[in-house]
Amino acid sequence: MSEALHYTTIRELGAAYRKREVSPVEVTRALLARIEKLDPALHAFVTLTPERALADAKAAEDALRKGDARPLLGIPIGHKDIYLTRGIRSTGGSALFADWIPEDESTVVRQWAEAGSIMMGKLITHEFAFGLQFPGHRFPAARNPWNQDHIPGGSSSGSGAALSAGFLHGATGSDTGGSIRGPAAFCGITGLKPTYGRCSRAGVMTLSWTLDHTGPMARTAEDCAYLLQPIAGHDTADPASSTAAVDDYVKALGGSVRGLRIGVPRNYFFEDADADLVRAFEGALGVLRSLGAEVRDITIPSIDLSRSFFLILAAEAFAYHEHDLRTKPELYGEVLRERIMTGALVTASEYVQAQRIRMQVCADVAEVMKSVDVLATPTTPKPATPFKVAYDPELAFPRTNMPPFNLTGQPTLALPCGFSTSGLPVSMQLSGRAFEEATVLRLGHAYQKATDWHTRRPPV
Amino acid sequence: MPELTMEELRARIAAAGLKIPEHRLAMMKKLLGDALAPLSRVDSRTVRPLEPAVTFDAKGPHLGVRHE
Repeated sequence: MSEALHYTTIRELGAAYRKREVSPVEVTRALLARIEKLDPALHAFVTLTPERALADAKAAEDALRKGDARPLLGIPIGHKDIYLTRGIRSTGGSALFADWIPEDESTVVRQWAEAGSIMMGKLITHEFAFGLQFPGHRFPAARNPWNQDHIPGGSSSGSGAALSAGFLHGATGSDTGGSIRGPAAFCGITGLKPTYGRCSRAGVMTLSWTLDHTGPMARTAEDCAYLLQPIAGHDTADPASSTAAVDDYVKALGGSVRGLRIGVPRNYFFEDADADLVRAFEGALGVLRSLGAEVRDITIPSIDLSRSFFLILAAEAFAYHEHDLRTKPELYGEVLRERIMTGALVTASEYVQAQRIRMQVCADVAEVMKSVDVLATPTTPKPATPFKVAYDPELAFPRTNMPPFNLTGQPTLALPCGFSTSGLPVSMQLSGRAFEEATVLRLGHAYQKATDWHTRRPPV
Repeated sequence: MPELTMEELRARIAAAGLKIPEHRLAMMKKLLGDALAPLSRVDSRTVRPLEPAVTFDAKGPHLGVRHE
């Protein structure tokens, strides 16, 4: 199989199958060989499932022969290891669940399986989607394919690393404070945090009930559209699941972005940003202008207050983990243990005030979005963090630009927009109104048709 | 609300019934202190009382008029 097929888009791979240029079994065998060769250094997978992958591939071949037109048929994917998979261990990246084989399966896992995808295995996650694995942990942390001395971002670290390394064509992520968009930014790939309630969280380990989102990660906005389609919609098993109508995300990619109004909040999002990152972001705005979008500076008055986001996250995470933390603290990783325990120190009134401030942020963003269609911001103020910095126990929680959109719940797409002077990918995020995933995907797709950042490959 | 002190942090840890290694206290103080700072800058009585969790209906009420 040619090297290019490791990195082909979902649409291109589906077309190659239907022209009989390559078969799902051939692709799966080639990817398994690539994973076997490269993953011992990258640690993207926590559990590889070759037998399941080959069985899925054989089923896809049979379906293709019968003319099955499902777009995800035969597409290799993987799942972040907080998604429960029936009969396959689901560790949460934690020693606590290191050998747990669930009897249930998450809704999203089932939906992608029913769409005909090939499951390659389970991808390492930061422990419980919150804490980087320190040296000596039961599971090694994934490494960034662009520079293995740097983290791939988190918490969907394995998803980001695997996509960047060409191990598969789509992956699940979850995003409570940026866990889809951060790895997308650091690994030079594309990730969509859909609207809160758009995709089911049933069967996905909880970090924070009111902030958790599930969504797809891929290498392009177009691939994210294909991956989002079968998992968007109401699920009675998730109390936060929305009944809002589901758009045709792939069809919407073809629309024009001429006249689309893009707001750039100039407060908050540029604090501590590296100069070369800002330069790349401003270049991306220039491309969007050249496509006919109207780009204007705006201000979101209360956005600075979104720093109280951590009170909500930590209090809810402690509520979820309290029993195990008090009875089996030794099974939680270094630093993560105390990070979650910080939630026990948040008073009830502080939690309530943080939620009320959140509503103020939502109201201010809603007001701004009466005059613009999309917000564009740098995804992170800096490129991927070196491990030697990330392993500093004094490092509390690095500041990023992503949590405000977990507070508001808006759909947000992170996509590559250049490189730092050190050769690491940098990213911008595009945020739309609630349930307007189609708009941010359309804009991201138009940007990627005009640029080639998303086609650059790491030196693995 | 005054800035979170180490004494206040220790008092909260004791009230929560937790045992935290001394070398992790600085990290926890920074995490909690940074997150609490916005609360001291806001008169919460001026914040419109909305439900304590973000929710959406098909019209996206918190994020304005749906764009067609």
